[in-house]
Order: sequence, then structure tokens, then C-alpha cells
Amino acid sequence: MKVGFTLDVLKNWKIHVIALILAIVSELIGVKKIPVGPGVLLFLPMLYAMVLGGIISWPKLKMIKAGEMKHATAVLSLLTLILVTKLGVIIGPSLSKVAEAGFALSIQEVGHFLGTVVLGLPIAIALGLGRESVGATFSIDREPNIAIIAEKYGLDSAEGRGVMAIYICGTVFGAIWIGLIAGFLAAMHVFHPYALAMGSGVGSGSMMAAATGAIATVFPDQKEEILMYAGASNLLTTIVGIYFCLFVSLPITNYLYKRLSPILSPNRLKKGGVSQ
Amino acid sequence: MNQRETVLTFLVAGLIAAIVCMVGYAVPVLDALIGCGILVFITLLGIWLAKIIPGKLPMVFWVSILAILSSAPISPVADFVKEYTTKVDFLAICTVVLSYAGLTIGKDIVMFKKMSWRIIVVALAVYTGTFICASFIAEIMLHLEGII
Repeated sequence: MKVGFTLDVLKNWKIHVIALILAIVSELIGVKKIPVGPGVLLFLPMLYAMVLGGIISWPKLKMIKAGEMKHATAVLSLLTLILVTKLGVIIGPSLSKVAEAGFALSIQEVGHFLGTVVLGLPIAIALGLGRESVGATFSIDREPNIAIIAEKYGLDSAEGRGVMAIYICGTVFGAIWIGLIAGFLAAMHVFHPYALAMGSGVGSGSMMAAATGAIATVFPDQKEEILMYAGASNLLTTIVGIYFCLFVSLPITNYLYKRLSPILSPNRLKKGGVSQ
Repeated sequence: MNQRETVLTFLVAGLIAAIVCMVGYAVPVLDALIGCGILVFITLLGIWLAKIIPGKLPMVFWVSILAILSSAPISPVADFVKEYTTKVDFLAICTVVLSYAGLTIGKDIVMFKKMSWRIIVVALAVYTGTFICASFIAEIMLHLEGII
């Protein structure tokens, strides 16, 4: 989904000044750790930046106009590319090391693509969502995935409502949530940091950043390797993702929906209801 | 977004990232500027390649290819690229990117407030599922391959 760039960068100078102030304030607060049970809640500057930004952009406060937020969205879609570049220049020097893990990297992608369905679909159906559950859980529901649903079902369909709902959730709290669970799991030492790093490459710039940042902060000695594997995994997820989601994930989700609905939500099927 | 605006956006964002490096990570001014400058340059070049090379491959692809090639051992500028870009901390860029991400939340918050708690639970399951399933498979594969 491309956001039209109606206003000039200079016209929206306020957004950039606020972003600068947010980033600096957040960095000055620094990393905070709160031990919870077996893990740790890790709060990174990027999370403060996001939450503070969210508060500032709250419509009721009227600090930022709708047009300025639209500009921020367009800027954001470009800026995530700087993250991609940064990870690329980390991968470059150790390309052979990444290639050595090539098989593991490729296979774990199945986890990225089907993980959303495996955990999400049964829960969505059990909670009473109809065809919305297909759009909601067939992928991580970022821009390229919306395009797939838009083309197949249209965004006014139940599937379209599902994909848009998860997309909005992703914008609002996706990075925060995935950053927190990544930090928590890393501190628990259940998975190896390299495995978590590969898991972080979920295919969304901000979510990948939050997860990778958290893992790298828990394991500072392996930071380079963590960034390297996360970057390679994210690259695979992004590029292969479009095709995989269209040709594999979506048909599988549809099939499973048909199979699981009678078991998990028998009443809904009788009524034939599809709306939320 | 037209080309001039894209370039200008990246110059502004690159400058912001450089300032965050200086203030938050105590990187010397010149190192931060050169480091961020290189990252911005590679990114812009990648975006431009994606536009001119037929095949409609995503920008992410070309940006990654350029970043990897420019820093790979075969690259004549590898040392230069590596020396300065390592000074730009990944987390510093993350903070800048997520500042902008935060500033976009407001436009979706009205829709978000209308959503039922069910869809929020599903969203949490979707994000958790993709992350944990991939990590789980990676853990097994890395063990099988003897890397960890």
C-alpha cells in the first residue's frame, strides 16, 4: 500500500523536529530492565520513542495534524530501508558465515509464514470470528499482505476487515509487544540467541527492530551475529513472503478454516454469520 | 514520493540519526556524519536501482544487495564502509525509526478504539506465533547443522 506524498518534507518540518526530540529524550532515559518471573521486561529507548510518539499523535491533543501523520507514514516506509541497509553492511563482511546457516535460515522461514496461522487461526475461530479470521491470520498482515487480500477479496470483505484490523493493531502495538516477548524469551535462555535472531526477522521493519534490539541488548557479546542472522532472516521473509503468502499460506489458511470452524465454532457455522 | 523529496527525507533522517549517535552513543561528530551518510547513500542508490532495473523487485531487495556487496570482502570500499557504519549503532537507527512509527499511531487510534478485544487477542497470537514458531524451527535447524 503506497501512501501518496502530498506534502513536502519542509512543510512538515514539525514532524522531523518532534522525531529528533523524541529520539534524543528516549536515548537519554536509556535501557530499563524489570525482572518478571523467569524472564525480564526489557524497555529499550525505541519503545519509549514509539509510545511517546503515539501519545503526541493522539488526535485529541491536536498536536499533530492528520496530514502530518500521513507524511510520517510515508517517511516511515522509507526509513525502514535504512535499517535494511545497516543490517546489510553487517551481513556483507560475514557473508560466508550467513551462507553456512543458509539451510537453517531457509527452513525457519516456514515458521514465520505458518506461525501466524498455527497460533492465530484456532484462537480467532474459537473467539467467534468468521471469515475475518482468514484475513487476520494468514500472514503478519503488513502492507504487501494487505495487497494480496485486497486483490483476492477486496478490502470491504470479511477477509479485508480481518487483515486491516491486524494491520492497525500492528501499527499501534506490534513492535512494543514483539519487543517485550523477545526480551523476555532471551532473558529466559530457552532459545539460543541466534535462533531468536532468526525468529526476529518477521518481515516488518519496526517489529524486527524491536525484537532484534531486545535480543542484542540481552546478549551484547553476540550482537554482531544476532544482527546478521536477524537481517538475513528479515530479508528472506520480505522477499519470499509475498509469493509464499499468496500461493501457500492463504490456501492453507482457507483449508484449515473450513476444517476447524465446525469443531471450534459450531454455532457460528449454523447461523452462517461472517461479520464480527 | 518524487525523487527530490525522497533524497531530502533521507538527508533529514540521516542527520537525525547522526545526532542521536552523537548524543546517545557518544560517537564523534564526523564519524557519525560519515557513517550515517554512507547508510543513506547506499539506501538511496538501492531505491534508485529498484526504479530503473526492470523486473519490479522490491526496494528491500536492491537496498540489501547493495549494502551486502559494498561491505563484502570483494568490495574495494569494504573497509571504508565497514569502518564508519559500525560506528552507527543499530539501536540508534531503531530509535529514530520508531519515533516516526510512534507519530503515525494517531491516525489509526480512532479505528483501533472501535475494535473488539477479540481482534486484539488474535493480533497478539499472530505476532507471537510468527516469532516463536520461526525461533523454534531455527533452534532445531541450527542444532542439526551444528552451528549452535
